Amino acid sequence: MGMIGKRAAGCMLSLALATTAAMAQEPDTAVVLRISDADRYDPQRSTALAAAEILYMVGETLVTLDHDLKTLRPGLAERWEVSADGLTYTFHLRRDVSFCDAKPFTAKAVVGTMDRWLNPDFPGVSKWKAGKVESVKALDDYTVEYKLKEPYSELLYQMTQFNFIIIDPDQATALKDDFGVAAFNGTGAFCFQSWTPRTQTVLTRHEGYRWGPSFMTNPGPAEVAKIVWKIVPEEATLAAALQTGEGDVSFAVPAWAISQLQATPSIQLLRPEAGFRTHYVGMKITRPDLGDKRVREALSLAIDQSAIADAIFFGEAEAAKSYYSEAARDFNPDMKLDAFGYDPEKAKALLDEAGWVSKDGGVRMKDGKPLSLIFYGFTGDSDKQMAETIQGDLRKIGVDLKVELYDPTIVWGKLKTQDFDLYQMSYPYLSAGDAMNLYFLSSNMPTPNRMNWNDPKTDQLIDAGNRATSAEARFAAFAEAGAIIHDAVLWKPLVNEKLVVVAGSRVAPFKPHGISGAPLYNGLDLKLAK
Amino acid sequence: MSTDTTALQTANTAGASRPHLLRHLARDPLALIALIFLVLIVVAAILAPVLAPFDPYDTNLRMRLRPPGGDHLLGTDTQGRDLLTRLLYGARTTLALGFASIVVGSLIGTSIGLAAAFYRRLEGPLMRLVDILLSFPSILFGLALAAMLGVGMDSLVIALGLSAAPPIARVARATAASVMQAEYMDAGRVIGLSDSALIRRYLLRNCAAPIVVYCSLQFGETILLAAALGFLGLGLQPPTAELGSIAAEGRSFIFLAPHVSTAASLLIFMIVLSCNLLGDAFRDLTDPKLQR
Repeated sequence: MGMIGKRAAGCMLSLALATTAAMAQEPDTAVVLRISDADRYDPQRSTALAAAEILYMVGETLVTLDHDLKTLRPGLAERWEVSADGLTYTFHLRRDVSFCDAKPFTAKAVVGTMDRWLNPDFPGVSKWKAGKVESVKALDDYTVEYKLKEPYSELLYQMTQFNFIIIDPDQATALKDDFGVAAFNGTGAFCFQSWTPRTQTVLTRHEGYRWGPSFMTNPGPAEVAKIVWKIVPEEATLAAALQTGEGDVSFAVPAWAISQLQATPSIQLLRPEAGFRTHYVGMKITRPDLGDKRVREALSLAIDQSAIADAIFFGEAEAAKSYYSEAARDFNPDMKLDAFGYDPEKAKALLDEAGWVSKDGGVRMKDGKPLSLIFYGFTGDSDKQMAETIQGDLRKIGVDLKVELYDPTIVWGKLKTQDFDLYQMSYPYLSAGDAMNLYFLSSNMPTPNRMNWNDPKTDQLIDAGNRATSAEARFAAFAEAGAIIHDAVLWKPLVNEKLVVVAGSRVAPFKPHGISGAPLYNGLDLKLAK
Repeated sequence: MSTDTTALQTANTAGASRPHLLRHLARDPLALIALIFLVLIVVAAILAPVLAPFDPYDTNLRMRLRPPGGDHLLGTDTQGRDLLTRLLYGARTTLALGFASIVVGSLIGTSIGLAAAFYRRLEGPLMRLVDILLSFPSILFGLALAAMLGVGMDSLVIALGLSAAPPIARVARATAASVMQAEYMDAGRVIGLSDSALIRRYLLRNCAAPIVVYCSLQFGETILLAAALGFLGLGLQPPTAELGSIAAEGRSFIFLAPHVSTAASLLIFMIVLSCNLLGDAFRDLTDPKLQR
């Protein structure tokens, strides 16, 4: 589509929604649009990225991550020491921090947060991220000692994630199940004012805030007085609402709308420096036809991921060649990745070699059995398109793919079964080690290790990477494990999604943060032109 | 709906002869156009494998969402497949789905209706059940059933058939009730015919015409429901072409490539409109009150 076409389409989009009348724009109030809401805003009880978006604004972590997603920076802890054996972490807290209710922030809050989260009776999520914790103690008001039973090289990076946001433990005790629903008292640049589920969340500026992390331009207080997070469940409506000025910022804009928005002069596209989210197809190697690595490699070579990146993501993604991005920490640049390119001729040759032949150009057969595989996926719009593309690509090499798409409410249960050959999804990660801990440990079978990759050597190397006390040892272990899992062709990497923040004319340009699910991060740099 | 039912209750159960039907259609040009269109669509759907210019499953992302014109008469869809081909195959699936469902629905509906009319003690419970089912909008009923039964052609046919059955049951009972008054029913009983023979030889045969006419009216609705389920993602799994799911697929790109959704929606609209026009003509034909 040419430039004129794009403009015409852009105009159509704005016209379509112009009639719905722009909401009155309040000065000093930024409106952020998003598609879905979270279940609750309790950092230790939600896995939803929609929760992270808001929690990073109202709460903070001890350790933060710079824009490159590799460099650790001080957060609520101004510095820390790690003992030589990698078991004891001592955090020295900032002394100038206070909660939204003006209560000073002390070591008690850190200990209370961790005790609540790791309490076996508490329905907390992602507890594994904390490592094998021996104890978390306050040495004095501003010093916390975090003791592990065994070394855990990923700990400081994990501590930058939203599950480690420090809460007000007294409020959590008082509110019980209503904590993070009715109220949330945090130390963030904004204060949690109100939440109307599936409609909006309102945050107001934390007036006394002065302790923003060094990589933000503004140390605090925030530039805008109020942020309203509005839910707009329909993609096209959301895109149009940005054009009409009903919303100021969104990072949930569908890829097809981005090229059109680009043609609108008042719209700016802002991109974070780094950000890791990869779409992939997983292969269950314990299924009868997928035990043969040649078959897995053929499937991988038959799928054209660059066409997916260009067409389905409209260029807002890059074709992936490995299970996790080359820019991720502990990525091994020496791995052989030939199996993840696009080469349908080689794919056909591999299937011939494996004994799967087709006489009439139809579905390949072996011992009277057709090469027919079952694929599970999500019903979402772009997921469905990807599934159909994969089905079409595999059909070209003589593989019959039975696609079964399920609603997000049932797909997770379906994916726990052993009844499928291939599945497709995307996942966010921090580093190569983070990805491997999640997917390739034998202890994570049957889910999320849905491939049933059961390899003692991989387990041992990931464990060694986790226990490493130096960056070099950690890299060596994760790099070797990475080479093994890539050599086995367990996934077909599809695309690395590029996060784009779309901002309207009122918003001054800023640098989004690539941390998973929260490109506005703490909201300090969000500024409205006068 | 209620006027249809009352009209049919008084319908001449002897039915109309063929020359009568054609003569009537000749007088009703709209119905004739509808008939010709439907015949063309049905023939095109049956002959889709011969007529289609391209392979309906041959994807090519680099060619996606091309506007109409050139090699692809109606352009290409979201996977770069020829839209005309997809629509031909889609019509094939949707029509087959509608036909199979109406057959299932009429079998169930007729059985309930005849049983209610023949066995008076069953009438209360059976017709109250039908009333309950009728109180749900058919789209809601179809949606719930399709979600419950899961995806696949069989479960979709059952879901659509069950949604179509209640109104058919009501028509069948009303017609059968008037046939039950006829003297030949008593005569049959007197000569000692079994219940099943009475139902098959006398009751069913004399009720058949209005039921068939009513089913032809329902056909359009069933197709619409099938397309709606496809649109809502409860239809058949990819890569099956189905008119409702083609319309849904194109929805995200309505600003970018309006031809995909428009073409599929128009086709659904034309098929359903034709079915309804033809159904109305049939009803006029069999309703003595409306005879000119």
